[in-house]
Amino acid sequence: MTRRRLIQILLVALVLAYPLVVAGSPVWARLGALVLLAAIGASAWNIVGGYAGQVSVGHSVFFGIGAYSAVVTYTQLGLPPIAGAPIGMALSVLVAAVIGVPTLKLSGHYFSMATIAVAELVRVLSSTSEFLGGAQGLGGPPVPRSVLDLSFISATPYYYIFLAVLAGLLWLTHAIEHGRMGFYLRAIKDSERAARSLGVAAGRYKLYAYMLSAAFTALAGSLYLTMFGFVDPESGFGILISVKMVVMAALGGAGQLFGPLVGALILVPLEELSNSYLGGQGAGLTFVVYGAIILIIARFLPSGLLSLLERRRSAASRAAKTVDGHAD
Amino acid sequence: MVDGMVGATRRALAAVAALAAFGLGVSAQAQQVVKIGAVYPLSGNSASTGNYAKMAFEMGADIINNGNPELAKVMPLAKGGGLPGLKGAKIQMVIADNQGTPAAGQNQTLRLITEEKVAAVICCYQSGITLTASAVAERYGIPFLNAESVAANLTERGFKWFFRTTPVAADFAKAYSTFLNEQKAAGRKVDSIAIVHENTEYGNSVSSVLADAFAKANLPVTQKIAYSANSTDVQPQVLQLKEKNPDVVIFISYTSDAILYAKTMKELNWKPAILIADDGGFNDPAFVKAMGSVTEGLISRSVFASGKPGSVAAILDDLYKKKTGGDGLDDVSARVLQAFFVMAEAINNAGSTDPAKIRDALRAVELKPEQLVAGYDGVKFDDKGQNVQASTLITQMRNGNYVSVWPKARATHELVLPYKGW
Amino acid sequence: MSMTLVQVVVSGLLLGAVYALFSSGLTLIWGMMNVVNFAHGDFVMLGMYTAVMIWTALGGGPWASVPAAAMVIATLGIASYFLLVRHIMRGPMLAQILGTFGLALFLRYGALWTFGANFKTLPDDLVGHSFILAGIRFEGARVLAGVVGLLVTLLLHLLLTRTALGSRMLAVSEDATAAQLMGIRPQRMQALAWGMAGAATGIAGALIATFFYTSPTVGETLAIVAFVTVSFGGFGSVLGALVAGLVIGVVESLSAYLIGPVYKDVIVYILFVAVLWFRPQGLMGKA
Repeated sequence: MTRRRLIQILLVALVLAYPLVVAGSPVWARLGALVLLAAIGASAWNIVGGYAGQVSVGHSVFFGIGAYSAVVTYTQLGLPPIAGAPIGMALSVLVAAVIGVPTLKLSGHYFSMATIAVAELVRVLSSTSEFLGGAQGLGGPPVPRSVLDLSFISATPYYYIFLAVLAGLLWLTHAIEHGRMGFYLRAIKDSERAARSLGVAAGRYKLYAYMLSAAFTALAGSLYLTMFGFVDPESGFGILISVKMVVMAALGGAGQLFGPLVGALILVPLEELSNSYLGGQGAGLTFVVYGAIILIIARFLPSGLLSLLERRRSAASRAAKTVDGHAD
Repeated sequence: MVDGMVGATRRALAAVAALAAFGLGVSAQAQQVVKIGAVYPLSGNSASTGNYAKMAFEMGADIINNGNPELAKVMPLAKGGGLPGLKGAKIQMVIADNQGTPAAGQNQTLRLITEEKVAAVICCYQSGITLTASAVAERYGIPFLNAESVAANLTERGFKWFFRTTPVAADFAKAYSTFLNEQKAAGRKVDSIAIVHENTEYGNSVSSVLADAFAKANLPVTQKIAYSANSTDVQPQVLQLKEKNPDVVIFISYTSDAILYAKTMKELNWKPAILIADDGGFNDPAFVKAMGSVTEGLISRSVFASGKPGSVAAILDDLYKKKTGGDGLDDVSARVLQAFFVMAEAINNAGSTDPAKIRDALRAVELKPEQLVAGYDGVKFDDKGQNVQASTLITQMRNGNYVSVWPKARATHELVLPYKGW
Repeated sequence: MSMTLVQVVVSGLLLGAVYALFSSGLTLIWGMMNVVNFAHGDFVMLGMYTAVMIWTALGGGPWASVPAAAMVIATLGIASYFLLVRHIMRGPMLAQILGTFGLALFLRYGALWTFGANFKTLPDDLVGHSFILAGIRFEGARVLAGVVGLLVTLLLHLLLTRTALGSRMLAVSEDATAAQLMGIRPQRMQALAWGMAGAATGIAGALIATFFYTSPTVGETLAIVAFVTVSFGGFGSVLGALVAGLVIGVVESLSAYLIGPVYKDVIVYILFVAVLWFRPQGLMGKA
């Protein structure tokens, strides 16, 4: 067994056992679940934003659709909120097609700005909709009626549910990455014009990536709702939700399988802990620290934290090559 | 010799044990504190309000722990030396930031309950956050007291640990409609009413409740204008009002938009005969400071009116001014402070930090108006946890300060109409 | 057209000129470096606080606060360029979002920490009272802001298109390497662009403070407007930002008056997306 393999096994074991390790502390167990939930959102974003290079800053549209689908399933039909997840995913794919067709032909920052505008549009409209509870928002079941409501005191069940979803999503992303679509997406990201000239249907593949990404972002929204039991226009469609997905993926390393997870692993605990230790004093110290750390990482590692590993690996392989060269 | 040794050892052991016991006793006595958690918006768009609430909590804890002789005459808990019901245990406020998001509100409530081991939670200002945070307290079986969220559904969830001291939107609506009908009876024109409200939870919920109540009370709402609170310009709205020229305008606004409305109305030189501002931004000390001089005669609601010198409200108002460096108590800080004193009273009566005992004590709380800082008719909770004696005062801006003008029984000043403005 | 409608359009135009003013700084660096500054709204916010400080500490009106804010925010812009932007430009486009978002949070909450959460306002007679002209009411502070807004954006436009300095800056924005071969120092030009953008943003902030409230989170509100204005007009086109600002201002005012204030943003966003549908490079951007 190589050392790398050993480290991998240890990491997987740690991830699986985490809730048991911190069993005594509900706060730490919850932190684990929050990291995974954020990682699901950021990884979903990564499909279109990282791999295809289409930087959407309006993914809150899909997150909100997921959250609202779940809660409306409860308020209108009386079903467990999670039953709304497939509806939310389907609806998101549809909405992604409607938004994607006109906006995906925009380049670079124009696409980002158009997605912000669409997300703000949806946020404002949602706050005027009676059906969605207007600006007051909607709450899930106040007390769990059955286990299907997925409403638990302990965060451990959430942890494993989120872990399963994240694993599935990462597996799918991995499959795409190594399949034909991944190849096309990378080509589009490098140079759309070149990709088109090679016969890649760039528009179509960007749209596929966008719709897939939307579906999983909606799933993250539905899961958010089952855990927190409430959504309003700001916590569903707010611009901060979109920005956080982008920031997490970028911080870890966009367009890399584990980039968003690494980003979530840094940012979520940073946000929660700094709020726990500094938030009570008022004065916003939490965000001064949070902002400064993001700033510093961007300054020194503009390609994300995972670029550190890559740098080491490429240095190592360079070293190996030199040795080989000498052997020759 | 041996006997003597044994005896000596025994005596020594006994002495050590006694010392240990004494030491433990002393430290238990000295360290006994009751922790109360509070989760408020200390950052984000409502940070200003949250920080005023924080100062109210700190002042409240200071009064109970260190005493205030003047206040002690009317408030037994203000004698100092902590809570007499718990052998002088001091109150320690553990304040956390909900960042204006339901997620942070829930996370922090969980932390206060499980890590800080608070005996009770007072929370959260925004209704949506109160909804999510109280679900955590309910599951852990910790008393949860809400001081200022007005959404009606909060007390309709069948929760067993949820209490609310504040009046709700329907109470405000009733106060306004009674007030306006009295004005009509006194011969003033109340034939057209415009409701101008911001478009988030607060404005939307209050405006819809108001519209319903006015319809029932036969008061004609002729114009309803919704706008977004972070508008950069409110001229179009004021021009709409100017064109229809209603007799009464009711604003439901946050601070930033309240400031813009006051400025723009002056600028476009338009005013209605009766201008009502539903609390919110119009009661923010920043608004009063900046715009008080150009909104003479503005009618607002508040649970707080300073009242006669020597009253609980007046003394606390002075103390709060010292604490904040000039800003007196307002509607929100008074409701927060009131909730704090109710909680302190309940914990003291419970004589324990056991959550179930505190909850039972909360259910039994009964306070009279003269014991309150907020202008309620009293504090007494029903089965759903709602304070059934919660009520509101109607106030009017006079020389840059709000004074109470309604109901008659609690008025310190006569109502002066029409609205004077600048 | 009724008198009220004229009043609405006038207020929209004045608002639009202010939008143009606080967007011109953003479009300058956006166009020159293809960098989107997510902290732009917070630069405006600090400009506003500079004006508030000048008034509370020294009693100075816009004549003092405008140059002061221009200097403070220009310095901030140059410092941000050298300490942060220069480095993140080496990374992917995402690094800009990451870095400037971090900067935005840092500045916003640094301001909360320094100045407190309370809303601050300047006395409303600081710039002079409102006056009536041909039956239309004008507010002194807004007229001043609007006129200065027009002047500054036009000046920036002329500077970029009619001067040697401007063509050097544009050369850097089109091809930094080629510009370097021609003896232009790209870094110096880019730092200058950040300084100029900062100055325009500072002026905008100081003027907005005279009729708007100032609070640590006010930048958030203004930033989205600036983003829309800039991409509406076309990245890098100062004139485009001016036209877009005026269009957005009038559309906002008219739709707020005629349809309802809640829907004014909806109308603006729909218009914006529609414009991009037909002109993916914005109104005046280069294709």
